[in-house]
Amino acid sequence: MRLNLVLTLAVLGSAIYLVHVQYESRRLYVELEKAGAQARKLEIAHESLQAEKRAQATPLRVEKIAKETLQMRTVTPAITHYVTVKEGAKP
Amino acid sequence: MSRSVRYGASPLLASPTPVWRSKFIVAAIALGFAVLAGRAAYVQVLGNEFYQRQGEVRFARTLELPASRGRIMDRHGLVLAYNVPAPSIWAIPEDVNATPAQLAQLARLMEVPLPELQKKLADEDKTFVWLKRQVSEPVARQIAELGLKGIYERKGYKRQYPDGEAAAHVVGFANVENLGQEGVELTFEKQLSGRAGSRRVIKDRLGRVVEDVREQVPPVDGQDLQLSIDSKVQFFAYQKLRDAVIEHKAAAGSVVVLDAQSGEVLALANYPSYTPDKRVNLSGAQLRNRALTDTFEPGSTMKPFAVTMAMDKGLVRSDSMIQTAPGRLTIGGATISDAHPQGLLSVAQVIQKSSNVGTVKLAMQLQPKEMWEGLAQAGFGQKPNIPFPGAVSGRLRPHKTWRPIEQATMSYGYGLSSSLFQLTHAYTVFARDGDLVPVSLLKTTEPVAGVRVFQDKNATAMRQMLQLVTQPGGTAQKAQTIGYSVGGKTGTTHKQEGKGYSAKKYRGFFVGLAPIENPRIVVGVMIDEPSNGRYYGGDVAAPVFAETVQQTLRMMGVPPDMAVKPQIVTNPVAESF
Repeated sequence: MRLNLVLTLAVLGSAIYLVHVQYESRRLYVELEKAGAQARKLEIAHESLQAEKRAQATPLRVEKIAKETLQMRTVTPAITHYVTVKEGAKP
Repeated sequence: MSRSVRYGASPLLASPTPVWRSKFIVAAIALGFAVLAGRAAYVQVLGNEFYQRQGEVRFARTLELPASRGRIMDRHGLVLAYNVPAPSIWAIPEDVNATPAQLAQLARLMEVPLPELQKKLADEDKTFVWLKRQVSEPVARQIAELGLKGIYERKGYKRQYPDGEAAAHVVGFANVENLGQEGVELTFEKQLSGRAGSRRVIKDRLGRVVEDVREQVPPVDGQDLQLSIDSKVQFFAYQKLRDAVIEHKAAAGSVVVLDAQSGEVLALANYPSYTPDKRVNLSGAQLRNRALTDTFEPGSTMKPFAVTMAMDKGLVRSDSMIQTAPGRLTIGGATISDAHPQGLLSVAQVIQKSSNVGTVKLAMQLQPKEMWEGLAQAGFGQKPNIPFPGAVSGRLRPHKTWRPIEQATMSYGYGLSSSLFQLTHAYTVFARDGDLVPVSLLKTTEPVAGVRVFQDKNATAMRQMLQLVTQPGGTAQKAQTIGYSVGGKTGTTHKQEGKGYSAKKYRGFFVGLAPIENPRIVVGVMIDEPSNGRYYGGDVAAPVFAETVQQTLRMMGVPPDMAVKPQIVTNPVAESF
C-alpha cells in the first residue's frame, strides 16, 4: 500500500517534470530561433554593406572622380617608366 | 436539548422503492463510464492519427527557406550582380482603415500615385493585393513605422547591377520573381537560382517557432558565377564605343574584346544600352545584344581569309605580285572594281590597300569547296559556341550553289553574313598562328587547344600584312596605339535595305589584334550608320579599336613592344580618356 503511494507520487512528479522540460525546451528553442534570425539579419546587413562598397567602386565612379576631382589622366606607355626586374631578384 | 425524529419509522416516508431502480441507476452510470472509456479509447488509439493531424494543422506550419541567387562576378572577382533585401508591400483591402493623410503618406513613400493606391484598396472583396513590389529596406521600415492596419510586408530580394549599362548586355537581368530574363542571368539560370529548402515547425499561439517537427531540408544556394569578362575592360570599351557612336551620330555600335590565348571574352558591349536596375520603357533597340544577334556583310574584313587560303594552297606568297590595273574585273557579266584603282601590287599590298580586284583574282583560283571549308572552319555560318540567348549563325551558303560571281564577291565580304562576335572570333586564327580557339564566357584556367585552320607561317605572314594596314599607306592608320604594335582590317559596307543596298547608309567596322609578334587580344568594333560625314571603318571604328587596345593591354600588364618617345609631364595636356 505504501509502495503504491510512493510510486504514484513518483509518476506524478515525473509527469510534472516532463511538462516543465517540454516548456523549457520550447523556450530555449524560441531563443535559438531569435538568435538565428539575428544572425541572418547581420549576414544580410554585411552583404548589403559589401554591395554598397562595391557600388562605390564601380569603374564609372572611380573614373569620374579621378578625372574631375583629382585631375588625373590615363596612363600611356609614353608617360610610363618600365623597369626590368633582373632574374632572381625579388619582385 | 435534543429531539430526534425517526423518519425511517414514519409511515409517510416509508417509500416502497423497488430494488431495480437503484440497480438501474448504477447500470446507467456504468454505461456512461463505459461510453467515456470507449470514446477515450477511440480518440487515443483508433482515431489517434486523425486527431494528431488535426492538431498539427492548427499548430504546425511549413516554412519555405528561400535559396539566395548566386552572384555574378567578373574575372577578378568584382561583383557584377548581387542580391539586396527588397521587401514587397501588400494589403488586405478590407482591413485597411487609414486616414486620407496616412494614405497620402504611404503613396509618397512607395512612390505610387495616390489615385492608383486608392483604386487598389477600393476592392474590398479581395483578400490580398500587392501595393508595391520590391521597395528598399529603409522605405519598408518607414512604412512599418506608420503602423497602418491591414498593410503588411513580405521579405524578398532583388538583383542589383553595379556596373549598370556598361555590362547590361552581358549580365542581363532577372525579373521581380528573381528569374533570369536576359544575358547571363538567363543563360545560367539553373546554376544561379539554387533550390529552396523547407522546414516543418510548430508555432505557439504567438506565432513563435517552438519546435521542429521533422528534419529540415536546407536550401541549396545558387552558385556564384565567375565570368571571363574584365569589368574594367568592359567599362572602358563601352565608354569608348558610346563616345564614338555619339560623335559620329551613328544608330548603334558594338565592341568585342577576346583574349587571343585563352579564347575568353574580356568585354562585349553594345550601344545603345540600358540600366538593368531601372527597366522602364525599354525598347528593343536598347535590349538587343547586337554583337551577337545582328548579322551584316563583313566586307573587306573577309579579304585576309581569302588571301590566306590562297597562300595555304601554295598559289602565292606575301611578296608575289598581282596586277590589279585597271581596277576593274568582269566575271560572268558583272564588274568588280576598286574604289581607288591601283597597279601592280604585292599580296601584302592587296591587303594593305584593300584591293577588291586583287583579292578576287586570288580567290577565283580556289575551288568553291576549298573556300567554303576554309570559311566554315573559321566559324562563318556556324553558330558560335557560346551559351547566349539569341546568338546567330550568320549566313554562308553551301558551296554547291555558288555561282562564280558569288564566289568572287564573297572573297571580299559580300553575299555572306556574320555577327561581329563571329568575325572577331574568326580573327583569332591570325592571332594564334592559324588555329581557331573555342570561345568562353566563363573564366577558364586550363589551357585550351585550338582547331587548325591555316598553316602557322601563313597566319604569321598575314599578321604582318594586317600590321601594314595600320601603317602609312594603309587604310586604318587611326588604329595605331602608343607603344603597342597593332594590325587589323577595316570594313565599310553599304547597309542592305530591302532587296538592294542603301546608297547612304553605311556600316563601318574594324577587326584587329595586338601586339603583332605575340597577340594577346583580338578586338572587333562596329559602328552602325555613322551619319556625321565620315563613315569609313578606318575613320569611325579604328579609333575605338586603338583606345580599347591601348587600355586593355596596359591593364593586362603587357609591356609595350614598340619604342615610345617619353613625354615629360611638365605641361599636362587634357587628353581624352
